[in-house]
Amino acid sequence: MATTYKRKPTKAEIRREQMEAAVMYPIDWLEERSGLVGGVKYFLFRNVPSDINWMQTLGSAALTAFLVQAITGVILAMYYTPSVQTDPATGQPVAWESIRHITDDVTMGWLVRGMHKWGASVFIILMFLHMGRVFLFGAYKYPRELNWIVGVLILVMGLMEGFTGYLLPWDQTAYWASVVGINLNGTAPFLGPWLAQFLRGGQEIGGETLTRFYSIHMLLIPGAIIGLITLHLYLVIRLGVTSPPWSKEAAGMEPAEDGHAPLRPGLTRPVTRNGNGIAAQGEPGGQK
Amino acid sequence: MAVVQQPKEKPSRTDENRAGFARYKEDVKKRGKPFYPYAMFHDTVMSLVVVAVIIGLAAIWKWSSFGPHHDGTNPGLLGPEYDAPADPGTTSFVPRPDWYFYFLFYLLRIFKWPESVFLGTVGVPTICLLLLIGLPFLDRRRERRPSARPVAMVAGALTILSMGVLTWKGATANEALASEVIRDVPRWIQQENLPPAAVPGAKLFATSGCTACHTYAGSGGSNLGAPDLTNIASRNLGIATQVKHLRNPSSVTPGSPMPSFASLGDARLHQLAIFLESSHGTH
Amino acid sequence: MQPEQPSPENQHEEAHLPSPSVYPIGFAIGIVVILVGLVINPELISSIGAVIALVFGFLWARDATRDLRGEPVAVEPERREMVEAGAGETAPPADQQGVALPVVPETAVTRSHFLEGATIGLGAVIGGLITVPVAGFALLPSFLGQKQHKVDLGPVDKFPIGSWFIATFIVDPAQGEVSRRAAFVRNNGSVTDPSTKKQVPSFTIISNRCTHVGCPTQANGPQGPTLGKPTIKEHTANGPAEFVPVIPAGYGCPCHGSQFDTEGNRTAGPAVRALDRYGFEINHGRLVLLSTYSVSHVVGTGGQAQIYKYKSTGPGQHVDGPEAWFYPLQPPHH
Repeated sequence: MATTYKRKPTKAEIRREQMEAAVMYPIDWLEERSGLVGGVKYFLFRNVPSDINWMQTLGSAALTAFLVQAITGVILAMYYTPSVQTDPATGQPVAWESIRHITDDVTMGWLVRGMHKWGASVFIILMFLHMGRVFLFGAYKYPRELNWIVGVLILVMGLMEGFTGYLLPWDQTAYWASVVGINLNGTAPFLGPWLAQFLRGGQEIGGETLTRFYSIHMLLIPGAIIGLITLHLYLVIRLGVTSPPWSKEAAGMEPAEDGHAPLRPGLTRPVTRNGNGIAAQGEPGGQK
Repeated sequence: MAVVQQPKEKPSRTDENRAGFARYKEDVKKRGKPFYPYAMFHDTVMSLVVVAVIIGLAAIWKWSSFGPHHDGTNPGLLGPEYDAPADPGTTSFVPRPDWYFYFLFYLLRIFKWPESVFLGTVGVPTICLLLLIGLPFLDRRRERRPSARPVAMVAGALTILSMGVLTWKGATANEALASEVIRDVPRWIQQENLPPAAVPGAKLFATSGCTACHTYAGSGGSNLGAPDLTNIASRNLGIATQVKHLRNPSSVTPGSPMPSFASLGDARLHQLAIFLESSHGTH
Repeated sequence: MQPEQPSPENQHEEAHLPSPSVYPIGFAIGIVVILVGLVINPELISSIGAVIALVFGFLWARDATRDLRGEPVAVEPERREMVEAGAGETAPPADQQGVALPVVPETAVTRSHFLEGATIGLGAVIGGLITVPVAGFALLPSFLGQKQHKVDLGPVDKFPIGSWFIATFIVDPAQGEVSRRAAFVRNNGSVTDPSTKKQVPSFTIISNRCTHVGCPTQANGPQGPTLGKPTIKEHTANGPAEFVPVIPAGYGCPCHGSQFDTEGNRTAGPAVRALDRYGFEINHGRLVLLSTYSVSHVVGTGGQAQIYKYKSTGPGQHVDGPEAWFYPLQPPHH
């Protein structure tokens, strides 16, 4: 029998191999020392059901809106001053003046401020839409109950973020909306008055209120939201994304038995066992 | 040969849950598609739309407010760029929260009775939040198809509807107080064909809080059973009766909850009476 | 086992562990005393420290160089005895019988138990040391150090009897504009003080913050330009103040529809009590505002009004009736 010799590689093929090796070298270096590359690959190339639809992009859309808020917020923080003292040069409160400065004087300041202001509304709308989609799909049921709870906490944190951020421009709408919001807390029985006084930083809304709302808005709640979002994403990756429940090819449907049409996901039917007491395929205790 | 029928065993809910989830994982492994690029493409497109919307809103805000006259206090399509600085001693500002809190704001207006205030401020919102968090424990059925979850679908639809209605009503609520109503006077003059003699009375009517309880030509609110006054002149009460009523409402309408406006002084009461007796209705 | 004699061959192979001694500690103490003495009293205390350091340093060096000088070093060997496990005791593993660890009753505090407890305990202590001051810093300042501020509104004669004004004034000059407040003020004329039987001026001074959730109420009545009277501006000790003439038939809140009469009593809406009032005093013929207090209701009008007073309470919180039990403890108010 004639031996087949491997054809000698062409120059182009050699170059290609060299380039691939050069690109893979740092990636392999990183992977060997951290395992992170493997994690990213798992995230990117894991399987999701083949019939997912556009409604299921609302979650990542909300994440994008949050990232927009975080980035624009960091930039705004470089120009904003949380002080209620009257600026002698302009006769206006320093905080209000810094916002006016951002809007009018700073290059593209109006864009960053506008994106942050409207991004807040978009973020909240997307969270509500995402919550509605999850409710519609029944994707809060086993095993995703914890993820639902984490999601509700993110929603509450998002609303609190909006509330604390609303005070920062220190204009009339900001001031009075915050007066009402803090006093609402004050009507809670027993601890309400103490909570309201803590939020205010004293008996009346003043400079302390603005600085602590700034601290809560910039540090406390973003930290909490980032932690919760991380947990939320981890659970989504671990538990998987559901198919639309009305889909004909939904992942996780019960298999056909005895010639019947396949059942839709989630439908409960008493599991029958044949005469030998052996469970049918796909049932609990049955063979896979 | 007789076949002995084994009794049907019903597996526990936990077992069914776990089996269902195992089936799902298996299905996704066999029939699923990789997240990148299929799902991630959808996510990327949607994210692009979101960023474009945010930038678009910011741009519209800027150019419709500041653009026309280079004045950031001009309202424009999306509101003014900036508002007056905080004035804790104001007596003419109408506070409103950010739009996504309008439903809570209107809830406070629904709970009008002083004894029920804490329900509107903390009671109802807390209960709703607890129900929301506890949803997976209230609904433990495995069924996910909307067509087979009537309770969930009805509850969801009712929630969305009520939040929407509360938000809209919160957005359109106005308290009809002096600082707002004074701007309606030119429209009243035009719609009711008010003669010049009635204008001072119209301004007094707008700023004296009458519209807190009375409606007039589309302004104001109805409270405490106060009648609409758009065409009060058609009742032909006459100037003298109007003045007497304003001075002491209970003397003309026994048991009326309307407060006395005698403090305005006779001259102003007379102007108000002229205004009221000129109000024959809008055309 | 016999203690091994340190011989030139094996003294580099084994770790040499002399028996513990106090000399290094003494030396360290000597150094510390030298340094402290440099600060306090160089001649006396540093000298003492130097002596201590030298003595202990010499002894320590002598001890540490023992084997270099060829003297035998007494090294205590670990004693491992073979015993059978008794009741309630751990038997050493069979393969370690030759070098078994000392037998320890299971109920004794082993080294690992002690370390576990110490780690958690010390962690708790550190946590407490950090958290308590920080929490105190975060929580306490909101509640302590609240001061009363007096507001001088001007001579009593500047307020015509029976005329209402919407007064805006600064409460705390140190805080500036952020402490501006508004009140509805009327001079009621003179009344007889029941205790001194003298004529004293009487004012009705009503805070404009609604008692539902604190929105700014407005006067229901013509004011300023509609009334045709000018606004009076004054420079008080606390800062600029304004007085706008008004003829109110009552006060109304733009937020949720509460209405109040001219004495501040609630007539409609979700407000839970009458409007708060400012206490006042007359100081050299000038009207001076004191702290606010809460009012459940007012009977009568003007100088003859009977005001049912309560400690200053936040908006939305009942001061009387069964719901007052929801708010038993108020934060300290000046």
